[in-house]
Amino acid sequence: MSNDMVKKASSFEILNHWVLAVSFFVLTISGYAFLFHLEQVGSVFGGFNQMKVIHNWAGVVFGVSLFFTIFHYLPVSLKFTADDFAWIGKAGGYLSKKAAVPPQDELNAGQKLYYLVVLISGIVISASGIVIWLRPMAADINRWVLISHLLHNISFDLMVIAIPAHMYLATLANPGTFRIMVYGTVPLAWAKKRHAKWVQRMGF
Amino acid sequence: MAIARKALLISPELCIGCRGCQTACKSWNQLPGQKTRNTGTFQNPPDLTPSLFNMIRYVEMPSETNMVRWLFVSRRCMHCGDAGCMKICPAPGALYRTKEGAVAFNKEKCIGCKLCVAGCPFDVPRYDEKDKVTKCHLCFDRIAEGLQPACAKTCPTGAIRYGERDSLIGSAKKLGYAKVYGETDLDGLGAIYAFKDAPKLYGMSEKPEIPESVVFWHKVLKPLAYIGLGGAVAASLLHYIAIGPKKDEEVKKDE
Ligand code: HEM
Ligand code: SF4
Ligand code: SF4
Repeated sequence: MSNDMVKKASSFEILNHWVLAVSFFVLTISGYAFLFHLEQVGSVFGGFNQMKVIHNWAGVVFGVSLFFTIFHYLPVSLKFTADDFAWIGKAGGYLSKKAAVPPQDELNAGQKLYYLVVLISGIVISASGIVIWLRPMAADINRWVLISHLLHNISFDLMVIAIPAHMYLATLANPGTFRIMVYGTVPLAWAKKRHAKWVQRMGF
Repeated sequence: MAIARKALLISPELCIGCRGCQTACKSWNQLPGQKTRNTGTFQNPPDLTPSLFNMIRYVEMPSETNMVRWLFVSRRCMHCGDAGCMKICPAPGALYRTKEGAVAFNKEKCIGCKLCVAGCPFDVPRYDEKDKVTKCHLCFDRIAEGLQPACAKTCPTGAIRYGERDSLIGSAKKLGYAKVYGETDLDGLGAIYAFKDAPKLYGMSEKPEIPESVVFWHKVLKPLAYIGLGGAVAASLLHYIAIGPKKDEEVKKDE
């Protein structure tokens, strides 16, 4: 087998993913500090008043960055085939070393589902955050704020469950994956094993 | 050391609508006057504002025997035992409970998110031009020194009385009020009312409650925020130890 490398992410995709990740961390850490009145965390941000400003603007960065991911991940994430359902049936082969899984496209079925969850909860958390922040003129604004507060926190819970799992799967659980976030490339052999349909489609 | 919970007992039957309390409150708290608007009643201004913590609601409620019956009701923060504003507030110390049981605020700690406005069952909190919370604080600075709140001090008829909550409830019951409004709602209100008629007539909801979504958030979504994160991290670790990573040479494909 050769040492050929294939490109899985462009420089822009890599940069955008880091912007998304860093803004997410800033938002999540300040979010927990708001939720549980963590005063020490607040002082790291220069007090709760400043933390609010940072949280709100980090939210804008997060929203813009999330928007760009649509071009990278959405088309492939919407294509579910029989192989994807079979992959899910086998839990992606994560529950046993002996399990064999059907060939996958550029993203495997789990990654597709994960992206759809992040996209939807990301849109909801951004939109609801903007309603709480800017309180658009409306006669029943208090109801809008309460609904937004609820949605903001439901999406928060979804994200703090889904994103750590994603981080584990992209690092420790699958050696060789993390380099995509640094170099954007993977060994052809790696790609053939994990994304055979993609390799075939691209003609690598 | 805990001290007995204090409260205001408000008796619309005794109120003559002089608005001395409204003025005394503005005076003590140095709240500016403001432009108001005529809404066809003597109630003025029409509702609480950032510089009006306490107001008299004028309800015209003719009865069979009295064609010009007025109900005068002091409207202000109720200093709820279980306060929706405090529950939803993300900034520690912005809203806090004094040892007398009042719900006071600290503008320096308030981050101006205005969530308290939506969390209050009585539509009380307002915010000033700097987006900071303002509302009745039961004259926390006076009562800490053993003085009465400015409104109670000024009221010429005893329609607003300040004192130990239990004994105020006792005295209202002795006067024949079977039910005191706010005795048990929201873990007991800190502004309790001796109503002769249904609370509705006085413009009060029969059963004030913290919005359901706020209760759900507090009881379910907040714990889930750390149980969920902890669970995801724990499951990852467990997977790493029990099953282990997918090494390249071990990846199997269906052919
Ligand atoms: C455009 C995006 C966002 C905007 C405009 C926004 C805005 C807000 C606002 C206005 C608040 C109330 C406190 C405050 O004023 O700071 C808040 C609270 C909070 N945010 Fe965000 N946010 C956004 C995205 C996020 C994201 C991505 C997360 C985490 C993944 C997050 C997590 C939280 C949490 C946990 C709270 C505290 C609970 C609460 O008060 O509702 N937010 N956000
Ligand atoms: S009446 Fe509203 S502002 Fe006052 S303590 Fe209750 S919830 Fe808070
Ligand atoms: S506006 Fe101020 S007092 Fe009200 S919830 Fe926000 S931080 Fe708390």
